[in-house]
Amino acid sequence: MLKNQTITNIIQSRKSLVQDLPQRTLFETEAEGGCGVTGFACSIPVRGKHIFEPSKQMHNRGNGRGGGIAAMGFDHRMLGVSRDILQDDYILQIAILDKTVVHGLEDRFIKPFFRVDLSEEIPHIDDYRDIPSLDVRPPDVRRYFVRVKPDVLKSFIAENHLEGLSERQAEDEFVYQNSFLMNKTFYDAFGKQQAFVLSHGRNFFILKVVGYAEEVVRYYKLDDFKAHIWIAHQRYPTKGRVWHPAGAHPFIGMNEALVHNGDFANYHSVAEYLKQRNISTLFLTDTEVSALLFDLYIRTYRYPLEYVIEALAPTMERDFNQLPLEKQRIYRAIQSAHIHGSPDGPWFFIIARNDTENSRLQLIGITDTAMLRPQVFALHDGQVQVGLICSEQQAIDATLKSLSDEDPRIGTVADLYWNARGGSHTDGGAFIFNLDETDHDGFERSMTCVDKFGKEIHVPPNQTAYLPGRVYYIMGDEDKDRFHVSEFFELQRADLLYENMRDGIGKWDYADIMECLREIKKWALRGDAYFKVALDALTYLIDRRYPTYDKKRRSVLQMLNHTLETILRHLPSLEDEGEKGSYRLIDWESRQFFRGPGYQEKVLVVDASLFPPEGDHCDSRLIAEAYFRGWRRFIVFGLKGQRFHGCGLGPESGGVRIDVYGNAGDYLGSGIDGLSIYVHGNAQDQLGQIMKSGKMVIYGHTGQTFLYGAKGGEIYVMGNAAGRPLINAVGKPRVVINGTCLDYLAESFMAGDPLNGGGFVVLNGVSFHHDGQIIPQATPYPGSNLFSLASGGAIYVRDPHGLIDEEQLNGGEIVSLEAMDWDLIFPYLQENERLFGIVVEKDLLVVDGERKSPYNVYRKVKPKQAKEELEDGLEEWGE
Amino acid sequence: MSLSNEPFQLPEIVRTPSRFRNPIGKYRLHRTTACTACGRCVEICPYGVHIMKRGKVYIKNQYLCVGENCPRPCHEACPENALSLKRNPDFDALGDFRWPADLLVSTWYMAEFGTTPSLGLEYKVGSSGGGFDKLRILMKKKTPGFDDISDDDVDVGVVLNRRNDNAHRVRIEVPFYGGGMSYGSVSIATILSRIKAAAALGTFCCTGEGGYPDELKPYDDHVITQVATGLFGVREETIKRVKIVEFKYAQGAKPGLGGHLLGDKVTPGVARMREAVVGFPLFSPFPFHSVYSVEDHKKHVDWIKAINPQALVSVKVSTPTDVDMVAVGSYYAGAHIIHLDGSYGGTGAAPEIAKKNIAMPIEYAVPKVHRFLTEEGVRDKITVIASGGIRTPHDVVKIIALGADGVCTGTADLVALECIRCHNCESGRGCARGIATTDPDLMQLMEIEWGTQRIINLFIAWRKELIRILKRLGIKSLKELVGQTDCLVHLDYLKDRSTV
Repeated sequence: MLKNQTITNIIQSRKSLVQDLPQRTLFETEAEGGCGVTGFACSIPVRGKHIFEPSKQMHNRGNGRGGGIAAMGFDHRMLGVSRDILQDDYILQIAILDKTVVHGLEDRFIKPFFRVDLSEEIPHIDDYRDIPSLDVRPPDVRRYFVRVKPDVLKSFIAENHLEGLSERQAEDEFVYQNSFLMNKTFYDAFGKQQAFVLSHGRNFFILKVVGYAEEVVRYYKLDDFKAHIWIAHQRYPTKGRVWHPAGAHPFIGMNEALVHNGDFANYHSVAEYLKQRNISTLFLTDTEVSALLFDLYIRTYRYPLEYVIEALAPTMERDFNQLPLEKQRIYRAIQSAHIHGSPDGPWFFIIARNDTENSRLQLIGITDTAMLRPQVFALHDGQVQVGLICSEQQAIDATLKSLSDEDPRIGTVADLYWNARGGSHTDGGAFIFNLDETDHDGFERSMTCVDKFGKEIHVPPNQTAYLPGRVYYIMGDEDKDRFHVSEFFELQRADLLYENMRDGIGKWDYADIMECLREIKKWALRGDAYFKVALDALTYLIDRRYPTYDKKRRSVLQMLNHTLETILRHLPSLEDEGEKGSYRLIDWESRQFFRGPGYQEKVLVVDASLFPPEGDHCDSRLIAEAYFRGWRRFIVFGLKGQRFHGCGLGPESGGVRIDVYGNAGDYLGSGIDGLSIYVHGNAQDQLGQIMKSGKMVIYGHTGQTFLYGAKGGEIYVMGNAAGRPLINAVGKPRVVINGTCLDYLAESFMAGDPLNGGGFVVLNGVSFHHDGQIIPQATPYPGSNLFSLASGGAIYVRDPHGLIDEEQLNGGEIVSLEAMDWDLIFPYLQENERLFGIVVEKDLLVVDGERKSPYNVYRKVKPKQAKEELEDGLEEWGE
Repeated sequence: MSLSNEPFQLPEIVRTPSRFRNPIGKYRLHRTTACTACGRCVEICPYGVHIMKRGKVYIKNQYLCVGENCPRPCHEACPENALSLKRNPDFDALGDFRWPADLLVSTWYMAEFGTTPSLGLEYKVGSSGGGFDKLRILMKKKTPGFDDISDDDVDVGVVLNRRNDNAHRVRIEVPFYGGGMSYGSVSIATILSRIKAAAALGTFCCTGEGGYPDELKPYDDHVITQVATGLFGVREETIKRVKIVEFKYAQGAKPGLGGHLLGDKVTPGVARMREAVVGFPLFSPFPFHSVYSVEDHKKHVDWIKAINPQALVSVKVSTPTDVDMVAVGSYYAGAHIIHLDGSYGGTGAAPEIAKKNIAMPIEYAVPKVHRFLTEEGVRDKITVIASGGIRTPHDVVKIIALGADGVCTGTADLVALECIRCHNCESGRGCARGIATTDPDLMQLMEIEWGTQRIINLFIAWRKELIRILKRLGIKSLKELVGQTDCLVHLDYLKDRSTV
């Protein structure tokens, strides 16, 4: 009761803040699409320049009309304050747009209420025009380290009856309200804009510009400024040539900074919901609303984080029913109370939060229930731990690369990459990276990663990482050729070389691996035939899963990738005519010498690293052009999310093969008609749209809306396909997905009768244990919607325990497998075995150690009554 | 159509009468047995309604009778009083408020003769009591020097690519092109008639989202292929073939409802084209599953440009309240054409409740977009096409004066093919005129040559009327009309009605 009264009192105390706000009949909101968001947390403070790369990677997700960053968890020495002041004081950071108001503002809102421990104007470069893309001068920013004066706080508590709060909580509330008043006085999105509060929480600050996010770092000289958590946002507003900097993300509640990618459909209703609780918006974006919601739940209602997430992204449908009863009861209560405040539509939040009461810093990623925005999480464990959340994987890898260049303890590959399943009973669609203090200095923290329900995400234990800076001694006096790689090269047996290395990793240490790779490199440079063996063997090693024993897989991958890239970069350049060999290298510098293949030139190797991600000069356009000039075989490497590979070659491109290494981008292979494309690693969103024929192989996971509207082709995915794969696919696509999908698999699937030339999906629902073993996932398909509204095709699910139930279907039915079904899918599973090493006999048909008949392992989902109606139709049409 | 050296030649008008025996007209003449076949009526009728055949007089072309407006009425001149005139009850049963009988019949007339009806039919506005029907063009009395200008000197063409990028330079010779109607929703004869007419008129016609039948191949340069949310029939090949690719995000007639082809219309032919299952309804989802925001949209546009770098990109959207933002967003994402589809359009297949209640009327949306793009300083870099209920050349002038560059037609084309607006389009075997059908028998009702010429005739009549209006307004080029709202008045806000 007392608690409720306190909440009422807090809400009541805010009434005076909002009651004199101008009443606008219509909430004006600002049109804003999705954006690029990125964030990472690190167990040691790292420099601001590392947010630079991922932000740049996501330029195409913003339009340079608003960018912002938040930094959290500082080294007190960099701010010129004592450790205690950093811990205890609020960092009140105010953007000054009109210098004349500074004195008035200080006299009215700061000096009377606060003990100011430090006040300064934060440094920036002299002339903003030195950064060419900045059109508008960023605001001057004043920073105050403050505490509320005891007497002020006392009377604030008394006046508003906030005795139910601890002093600190009341102080938070005072700061919050004071900032609101400041914004109200000095900032009107429609009128005068003199100053606004950027942030006011403890141990973090926010900066915003009208420009790209990384320009914040450059302008405010944060390249070398260190913090534990960085988040950044590229904004894509569509209104106005110049828009107010306060509209850029991140937004604050109290001790959290929030960035958002997406767009609410119910902005007005959420704003109304807040208004009923005396919270008003001032900056006209749905992101501000999100931050205010988060603050309301966590600080006013004092919900635990799990409930906050539930209030934002409610658990629905079948997922709800899968929750334990007790949880259902609580969630039901939360939903009934807060469903009107729940943001509807596509959204994805990244939140940096200072959990002051537990001295814990948090980086939180929350995805909406329908999973409509792209999101990737990654965890890098080791001496330095890094947790990353981004819109696209290449931004994660770019961050790691940047960090790794500075600190070799950080690798270029993360241990784990995954997608969250929004509003689910499995992970709740949210993950939290916690940074807890380990020593008194607070310079080093330890990281844990948990999902919404508090379940911890672990990396494989007892593995050590490779440290490039360290000297690894080669033991013993073996001769140079001790790895005997030469025989494989002489025999031209890449497969044996692969097996030899795979089996060797257990007994070797990193020095051995390095030595072996050096040998391979030497051989590779001796000529095409040897190069081919090296390339194939390294590709196998990158693609396949095998135990790495006491070594981290990410470290092994890092070394393999490095070796592969070195070898590829040594190939003769296209500009040198008359070189021997059939491989030619082209990169951004040499693209001007672009030409068709000469005699014996067979393979065009594209170093994509400096190409832009899209547009007239991107590397996929170059490949299409090369195809028309006669090239048929392509290797693309060094990718940083460049898009559209395999697009634009037109119909009948059979015989073309493209191998893609690195972070392949969106829309890869969308529209291909004949060619084969192999992605050696994880792939991103919108792959294989409208694919007509050909082959696509993905040695990893793939992202959202995979094969949307596909018409045909053979597609193999080693891992999972995220949300909404194969929607509206027609014709005869034949797909093997070895992992699972988040939800909405094959909605409106219309791929005829699979037994008569139509299409189908084989869903194996397995994953790889870190020891290379193939293990079944908890359920072959966790989503609530499988094969909804489908009229043709079929899904063959490996579901020996019958976990798929009718509740997941809408218009489909589960039937048992028949001989002709097995005859149909068996060849595809054999090809799957050849590609990924997932053996039909040993892995897929063995259940709990026992070999079973395929009819007891696979189940078929087909459209209900498809048969009768089909016959009807045919009869009537007389064909 | 492209900026080649050959001057564009307008096609010939060829009179193309109705394919049915008794075309519907406004009046009905009755001849009693008192007729002595004196031939007086044949002699005086200016419209050739009566004919003399083997000594007998017949009423041959009743539908051409202009009734009370006739300068030389036969029923008054008949010495035997054998002729009587009354309104045709069929006529009064025809049409609706948006497309009243007058508009339907005058459109048929234009499709037959290639010129506007002379008397007796209201061919300029409908009777919906709002929208275009409340707007009037403020004609000047006379602009000196405009009398003797030849029609050829008035430019009604529209340049579609204003970005000056690598894409094709495309100009259409008339300020309209054909909107998307998919293979499956209408017959192949209808599609071909529209496309052949578009080719002859130096403009384009959109395929809709039902695929790109091979029969269209000869007209590739006049085809707009649609990439819609169902992605039916969209292949890399079809995107590479054309000069303009249209993204359909929504239809003004049913925004937020996606597309839905009922199972009845999914015949073996349609199913083959869309690679779906015979007899099953086909859903186009209401969003693009891969596009949930403007940066996704940009990626989407980039993708099409990756497949066909020279293609013009048209973005077809409905008219939500923030349509201006959508337009600007589309521009920044690289679109060449923003196509605003307002709420008055839609054939019978769109649900009534959606057609009448969701999207913003086009005459509100266009000025809003025009103004906003102008303020942003990008109005001259993007082409604004309006559609949704453009029925007459007067509608064209009105919407261009409100800020569009050109329009997109749909229902008017079908009316030229003798659609009677019976609203049974969604059922494949319901189309009495064999237009919106995929039924092999009903499709036989129409021949392509006939359909092509009907549409050509209609649009030549539109063009002539447009030029007549422009001359009256004292304008030599349609470009000058864009956004000239002072050429328009709204009847509700008009004090002195005499000027109209």
